[in-house]
Amino acid sequence: MTWGQTLRSAFESIVERRMRSALTVLGILIGIAAVILTVGLGEGAQGRVNSAIASLGTNMLIVTPGSASTGGVQGGLGSASTLTLADAQALASPVDCPDVAEVAPVTQHSFTLTAGSQNWTAPVTGTTPAYLSVRDRQVTSGQSITETDVRTEARVALVGTEVAQSLFGTSSPVGRTMQIGNVPFSIVGELNAAGASASTNQDNVVLVPITTAQAELFSQAGPYAGSLSAILLSAHSSTTMSLAYQEADSLLLQLHHVTNPLQADFTITPQTSLLSTASTISKTLTILLAGVAAIALLVGGIGVMNIMLVSVSERVKEIGLRKALGATPATILRQFLAEATALGLLGGVLGVGLGLAGALGIPHVIAGAAVTVSVPAIAGSVLVAAVIGLVFGVYPASRAARLSPIEALRSE
Amino acid sequence: MALIELVGVSKIYGVGGVEVHALRSVDLAVGGGEYVAIMGQSGSGKSTLMHILGCLDVPSSGAYHLDGADVGTMDEIDLADVRNRRIGFVFQQFHLLGRLPAWRNVELPLMYMGIRSRQRRRERAEKALEAVGLADRSAHRPTELSGGQQQRVAIARALVTDPAIILADEPTGNLASDQAEEILTIFEGMHSEGRTVVLITHEPDVGGRARRLVRIRDGRIISDEPAASGVGSAG
Ligand SMILES: Nc1ncnc2c1ncn2[C@@H]1O[C@H](COP(=O)(O)OP(=O)(O)OP(=O)(O)O)[C@@H](O)[C@H]1O
Ligand SMILES: [Mg+2]
Repeated sequence: MTWGQTLRSAFESIVERRMRSALTVLGILIGIAAVILTVGLGEGAQGRVNSAIASLGTNMLIVTPGSASTGGVQGGLGSASTLTLADAQALASPVDCPDVAEVAPVTQHSFTLTAGSQNWTAPVTGTTPAYLSVRDRQVTSGQSITETDVRTEARVALVGTEVAQSLFGTSSPVGRTMQIGNVPFSIVGELNAAGASASTNQDNVVLVPITTAQAELFSQAGPYAGSLSAILLSAHSSTTMSLAYQEADSLLLQLHHVTNPLQADFTITPQTSLLSTASTISKTLTILLAGVAAIALLVGGIGVMNIMLVSVSERVKEIGLRKALGATPATILRQFLAEATALGLLGGVLGVGLGLAGALGIPHVIAGAAVTVSVPAIAGSVLVAAVIGLVFGVYPASRAARLSPIEALRSE
Repeated sequence: MALIELVGVSKIYGVGGVEVHALRSVDLAVGGGEYVAIMGQSGSGKSTLMHILGCLDVPSSGAYHLDGADVGTMDEIDLADVRNRRIGFVFQQFHLLGRLPAWRNVELPLMYMGIRSRQRRRERAEKALEAVGLADRSAHRPTELSGGQQQRVAIARALVTDPAIILADEPTGNLASDQAEEILTIFEGMHSEGRTVVLITHEPDVGGRARRLVRIRDGRIISDEPAASGVGSAG
């Protein structure tokens, strides 16, 4: 038989066995759509979790004064006085630390804020504009503090949403004035709401230029006014974190004239808690995802396998008859190959269609659900369906085609 | 040399378990144009012999020469060709594909023969159906036909490639006597056209209408002689 005849006869055979064909197509369709949707939902969720974690700044390194071994870190921010603005400027050099993206020196102290009759206590951070990108914060209204503000020791401040609400209620804080301690600052912008993590409330913050903080605020606050609480560094990506760490470490050792790294008077801490949380969540999601997808594929695959096996075994007789009339095993095989391929293609196309429609539709139906269209999931599920269809549709047929016609005719 | 020649053919079923010796060293030669009836009790090995003659099954031992060629050395493609062009097989149970109309059943061998034109296949199928008196039933499905009509469709299918040999395993076994008569007339017509006809039967009067009668018991040929009407030549 020619391929044309084979295709025609495959088509006829599919139409003649409408019910069986429909079930086969349905099995493939549902398996594929299920994989696309489960993987899509899983990846969507993973994407959201990852971006939520990224917003906390996972590429961040924190340099704090004092060495871990002498308890400097436990002593609290500002208790040792070894980090300076000069250190921060050196770290910002792209020659010495090419893998350090941004550097934000930080001095921090808690102050009472006053606006009109309202009082509020919040940590006030003196820093540079780089702080915003290192911590991945945005100014949602008004504008950021600028390098000029830093240079001119301007009395300007950015406030978090909680501070803004506590002092000004629902009205915008931008353009208003507040007292930090007894120094008046004008508020130039409001930060985005970032939520609270385990250790800090990121919305209860005030940011001012570091120079202003040192000159006007912290000189009254303690003996180490000239020194920094910390220097925040960001790497270009989470993969270059360790390079950035090494560069910062060796540069600071050199600047502080320390030869034995064990005697370093500073400590560099990667955001390990966040990182490990991120990777744990990510790993859990990945396992969950792979499991769900595997089960969906398995169920779909077993469905297709059953229908294929049944439909071939009830046709062994027909195979025997066709052989008795002069069909070669190759001819028989081609016929079953054409049928399995046609059913597989139909089921595959419909399944991908349904999966994509679901991926587009689900977020409209379930608020907050994100479905990522995953090309590997589509390719993988179609491939598995094709392989299962061929293996369980064509392999038993090829075995039947090798029987003698009479053996095949006798089978029930 | 005979058209069909079996030498020492045995068939053992169930090798390894309970062995059934369906054929025990059968020698049989059938010349071109003969009309042979095979008779014997149920279980004597008639169908087994016929399947081997039709290249539908292979002997456990012994040799089968068809028109001088050793069937035992043929590959699947050669065998398919023999079944397709040289031999027309008529089964007791008809073995029609129930979802296809009569003419589509009859054209199947022509598809495997490689005739590409559907028109051409249909013409030949209709002609074969006409030869068995079913010209007006070509669009009917087997379920819409009587037993005798179904068997005639099966005969048309066996005839459609114009094979030299027609093998029939109890072609009238499932039929009422008037229908059986029609079928036998068709076989006699094929014989008179010069085809070699071998058929199995239980009924003595059917056997008596052949030219040669082979009796088989317990897998052995016990007699081989001209039939009562015996005009034909043996061997
Ligand atoms: N596939 C098989 N497996 C095992 N034994 C078989 C098989 N086919 C036939 N036999 C046995 O071989 C013997 C011959 O069977 P065969 O079908 O050739 O008999 P038969 O003469 O055609 O009988 P009937 O007149 O009833 O059709 C029987 O004993 C039968 O049981
Ligand atoms: Mg029999």
